[in-house]
Amino acid sequence: MKVGCHASSSIHAPRPRQFGDKMSAVCCCAHCDFLSLGMQDDHRLSTSELEKKYGTSIDKGLSSARAAEILARDGPNALTPPKATPEIVKFLKQMIGGFSILLWIGAAFSWISFGIQLAQGVDSAFDNLYLGVVLALVVILTGIFAYYQEAKSTNIMASFSKMIPQQALVLRDAEKKELPADQLVVGDIVEIKGGDRIPADIRLIFTQGCKVDNSSLTGESEPQSRSCDFTHENPLETRNIAFYSTTCVEVCVPAGTATGIVINTGDRTIIGRIASLASGVGNEKTPIAIEIEHFVYLVAGVAISIGVLFFIISVSMRYKILDSIIFLIGIIVANVPEGLLATVTVSLSLTAKRMAKKNCLVKNLEAVETLGSTSIICSDKTGTLTQNRMTVAHLWFDNQIYSADTSEDQTTQSFDQSSPSWAALSKIVTLCNRAEFRPGQENLPIMKRVVVGDASETALLKFSEVILGDVMNIRAQNKKVAEIPFNSTNKFQLSIHETDDPHDKRFLLVMKGAPERILERCSTIMINGKEEPLDSEKAEAFQTAYMELGGMGERVLGFCHLYLPENEFPETFQFDTDSMNFPTSNLCFVGLLSMIDPPRSTVPDAVSKCRSAGIKVIMVTGDHPITAKAIAKSVGIISATSETVEDIAKRLNIPVEQVNRREATAAVVNGMELKEMSAEQLDEILREHAEIVFARTSPQQKLIIVEGCQRQGAVVAVTGDGVNDSPALKKADIGIAMGIAGSDAAKNAADMVLLDDNFASIVTGVEEGRLIFDNLKKTIAYTLTKNIAELCPFLIYIIASIPMPIGTITILFIDLGTDIIPSVALAYEKAESDIMNRRPRNKRRDRLVNEQLAVYSYLQIGIMQSVGAFVTYFTVYAEQGFLPSTLLGVRVDWESNAINDFEDSYGQQWTKYQRTYLQWTGYTAFFVSITIQQVADLIIRKTRRNSIFRQGLFRNKVIWVGIFSQIGIALILTYGLGHVTALNFTPLRFQYWFVAVPFAILIWVYDEIRKLLIRRYPGSWWDKNMYY
Amino acid sequence: MATLNEKKTCSERMADFRRFVWNPETKLFLGRSLINWVWISLYYVAFYVVMSGVFALSIYCLMRTINPYEPDYQDQLKSPGVTIRPDVYGSRGLQIYYNVSDNKTWEGLVTTLHTFLTAYTPAAQHLNINCTNNTYFIQETFDGPNKTKLSCKFTSDMLQNCSGITDPTFGYPEGKPCFIIKMNRIIKFYPGRGIAPRVNCTYVGEESRPLEVDYYPVNGTFNLHYFPYYGKKAQPSYSNPLVAVKFLNITKNVELKIVCKIIGAGITFDNVYDPYEGKVEFKLKIED
Repeated sequence: MKVGCHASSSIHAPRPRQFGDKMSAVCCCAHCDFLSLGMQDDHRLSTSELEKKYGTSIDKGLSSARAAEILARDGPNALTPPKATPEIVKFLKQMIGGFSILLWIGAAFSWISFGIQLAQGVDSAFDNLYLGVVLALVVILTGIFAYYQEAKSTNIMASFSKMIPQQALVLRDAEKKELPADQLVVGDIVEIKGGDRIPADIRLIFTQGCKVDNSSLTGESEPQSRSCDFTHENPLETRNIAFYSTTCVEVCVPAGTATGIVINTGDRTIIGRIASLASGVGNEKTPIAIEIEHFVYLVAGVAISIGVLFFIISVSMRYKILDSIIFLIGIIVANVPEGLLATVTVSLSLTAKRMAKKNCLVKNLEAVETLGSTSIICSDKTGTLTQNRMTVAHLWFDNQIYSADTSEDQTTQSFDQSSPSWAALSKIVTLCNRAEFRPGQENLPIMKRVVVGDASETALLKFSEVILGDVMNIRAQNKKVAEIPFNSTNKFQLSIHETDDPHDKRFLLVMKGAPERILERCSTIMINGKEEPLDSEKAEAFQTAYMELGGMGERVLGFCHLYLPENEFPETFQFDTDSMNFPTSNLCFVGLLSMIDPPRSTVPDAVSKCRSAGIKVIMVTGDHPITAKAIAKSVGIISATSETVEDIAKRLNIPVEQVNRREATAAVVNGMELKEMSAEQLDEILREHAEIVFARTSPQQKLIIVEGCQRQGAVVAVTGDGVNDSPALKKADIGIAMGIAGSDAAKNAADMVLLDDNFASIVTGVEEGRLIFDNLKKTIAYTLTKNIAELCPFLIYIIASIPMPIGTITILFIDLGTDIIPSVALAYEKAESDIMNRRPRNKRRDRLVNEQLAVYSYLQIGIMQSVGAFVTYFTVYAEQGFLPSTLLGVRVDWESNAINDFEDSYGQQWTKYQRTYLQWTGYTAFFVSITIQQVADLIIRKTRRNSIFRQGLFRNKVIWVGIFSQIGIALILTYGLGHVTALNFTPLRFQYWFVAVPFAILIWVYDEIRKLLIRRYPGSWWDKNMYY
Repeated sequence: MATLNEKKTCSERMADFRRFVWNPETKLFLGRSLINWVWISLYYVAFYVVMSGVFALSIYCLMRTINPYEPDYQDQLKSPGVTIRPDVYGSRGLQIYYNVSDNKTWEGLVTTLHTFLTAYTPAAQHLNINCTNNTYFIQETFDGPNKTKLSCKFTSDMLQNCSGITDPTFGYPEGKPCFIIKMNRIIKFYPGRGIAPRVNCTYVGEESRPLEVDYYPVNGTFNLHYFPYYGKKAQPSYSNPLVAVKFLNITKNVELKIVCKIIGAGITFDNVYDPYEGKVEFKLKIED
């Protein structure tokens, strides 16, 4: 009975795999020595030696006092979480990052000039104090906002990793106790049931047929059997050690539990050591962070150079140094888009939210865009590309192969079921099966029901349930009288049933197993319901079918039966499975069934999308090359027409060495080959072949593959679920962990978590990432434009000595008031064309803010805006009495407190306050006309190439929210707060709102012409210089 | 996470920059070929010429709509500002400090007054007519030469003791200084609603004795025939009427705060933001 627990784990055709295999592959990496070195030789010791070593007793366990002592020495049994940056450091980074430093300089200058002016007893000194305070507030508030956004997205993750504390059953003071797993210490005796997570590294001392799922450690999805026997020198490969964080799949029934001694806890466990390896891989900047840095440098460079230039000009024009410093502050404030970084953060987090809805949970906001620039995706197979469940894919009976439906939500099967052979086969499939549905799931779709049993039997059970209906009822009608479960010597499984026909008193013997073994036991074969002798021709047909199904990477099972003659086996016959008092040869062969973990139905489409988007999809799997290639072909990672070197060799019938490697577009690389490859050889493979599958690879080799891809200059996305994947996830430009199958360590190392484990979700993520890159361009172009309209006033004020057209505070109201919502609204803009039809951006050439964008915004649209705003300014002054000619050169008298009878163009005389109030009206008018023209700017920025009319003015409703908010805020500032003198706004005559409208229309028309010429003459001088 | 190691040494950066300025292989100057630079410059020259044209056109249109005689709006000029001569501004407004026994301290003040009054000599006023009516001098038509309107004469002798004619030192050495109060011009402003507005000077705050003032012309009024003002173009020779005040009982060696308000309907002096609207406030300290 002991062997019984090993149910059909290795009857299935081409998958002879051992944990040892896997681990020897692991050992190709340098980390492996380090892992094994750390292990003691506990696996060699006998139970009593272990007891002595750890000062424990198998019957009594540790004493509580001793356990407390060890706990104090070793610390709790938990992985040290990756060292997080202290919150205060994160916060301070926001305070000095980006433009903040420029604004701090501005604030410092303001305070310095306040100090100087105060000492000189100047009336307006306090203006500078307030300006400094406002600038500091702006920095602090935007810093807090950015910090909050960042923290919010981190919190999503934190909640994700918080899990119910694990409990462990421990023997202490001769009593069994439930303790939290983190209280475990070395030497504790623990009991493990089926389904438990192993709470620490454990040396098993008592078990029966225990199996563990090591997938989180090794990526191997097949459960590994565990016993008390020392089977291998290497502690990683011996069977008597179970590792922390792996899952115990099942324990044999009579004992119900496995017992072991804890030999390693916390960070000293194998998993702990791998996790610490992962945290050693450097954390570098994301592509979007580099782009934003580039942009900040650019804008700061412009701000500083213009500032310094005009500082020199103003000093040489004999302005006082103090005045020059104040101009410098104004120029800095005008040049820095204060709200932009916050806007970018909001846009990214909006996209992150949208992606979360599509099952991509982004941990790091900037990773949103990284996904968009991805050029290679290294994807796992199991669970990501496939459904992660065995499903019947093909049947062979009556000398014919039938295909079965393998989609996720099958409710019927459509192959021809009229043949009596099928009736016989279906009966065997139903009866010769130990798997059962857990009770109470009658209302669930069949495919979603939980089954007790191994993967193949589950597949068969679900398959027959779909076709025949209530399987349990059929089994009840065909009462089982005897059974031989699968074992590795026989490689078959057999059961004997009564028939459901009350008049037929015969017993039915049904058998399934490895096809060649089943065939050996048969002398006849069923064709169209009739038994025919199994001659060599029929055996040949069987071989062909078997090879064909095996060649598709599928697990093949053979089925046969025999009706026992009534005279020899009367109703009262006692079957004895030990002595086998019934025939097990000369049976009747009925058919073959083959199973595979089928691809998810959305994947082929997603892969072809990737292909048209210029993204290379590389499959990295621990599976057998044949299975891997079959799945790769069925999802399109290897396209139907492409061939590997081996395929070409086979087709041309020449040795592999003679094939021209360049002709082969596809490659299937075995982990063993990869182990022997040099970096150059790997590079060559990655370069030469468009379609690559890495089979039989260890998770550690994933790291090597990722590094290889990155050497090609690619932005690499990697999926992973196991703990061993975490170094690769960290190393990748964007690590994607599986939300369902993924281990905590993988989720910690990843930048993104795929909630549904579905490859197709990555592709939607890519689409969103590309869209946000385009939209950020638009946002930045929009924001930069008005900087010129804010800057020009200062320059002209200095050079032409006109009254100040716009105040520093007013500029802040544009940058942080009217402009914020519209620039966020651009993040909602739909793509102009199919963004999945172009190549991924080249991270060195395709910049977020390129020369064209800056030049077009600054020197064309920005200048148009400035002209519009100045026309408004001159209109306001002229209609109040100061004609443009009067304004030139008046600055000194205009600003003098000592002149209270300042004469205008009409001979009227003005006090200082009356002039100042007019100046504020000028600010307000300038502000209003920038706002009006920004509406036009917002509309033109909706597209970069297409006409606005094609994109649709009303498709993005948020843009209209932006426009209304913009105008609404301007109205409130002008009419609502127009009487608060500190803000420098005044109520404005209504008609001045419309002075800039012709210029707004001009901007729109000009940009439409620009886009028209770009579309008309692609590749022309115009296209090169005007497309951003 | 991503690994983009783009760390470069300083010399590499310099080399990169030099290559950007002039790349001998591709013959690119600052990332463009020379011919490309010519094209882009031409484009921008054309663009800016057009934009300048648009700006010029807009200003031209603006000027076409402007009335040359009076501004469209007088939003800020509801009530006239008031100024005083001599005006010496310290760090906290008007501060007139002088020492009777030190000529140098008050000679500047006297000169200021003389200079100011040169615009009111009969010679300077010869274009203006003598007015006798004590009502607003309303002119619907252009009666003056060259399509102008007439202005009334105001000569410095109307200021009598403070005219600088009888007393060229304006009473400064005696400690009884003259000050000239002027109301700002506002086009078509009718001060006082038919009653001539007058100047009234008092101490600010509690003072032990009231300020004794002589006003010139009598009562310190601005005669209504100087109003309304029709603007520089219509009345090129217009000069503001003045009121002179002579303080008679200034305590020596004490800083006194004095305010001179213009009393008249339509003239407000309670704007907290504008210290010169309808009134003028100053500090006076006479030492001996």
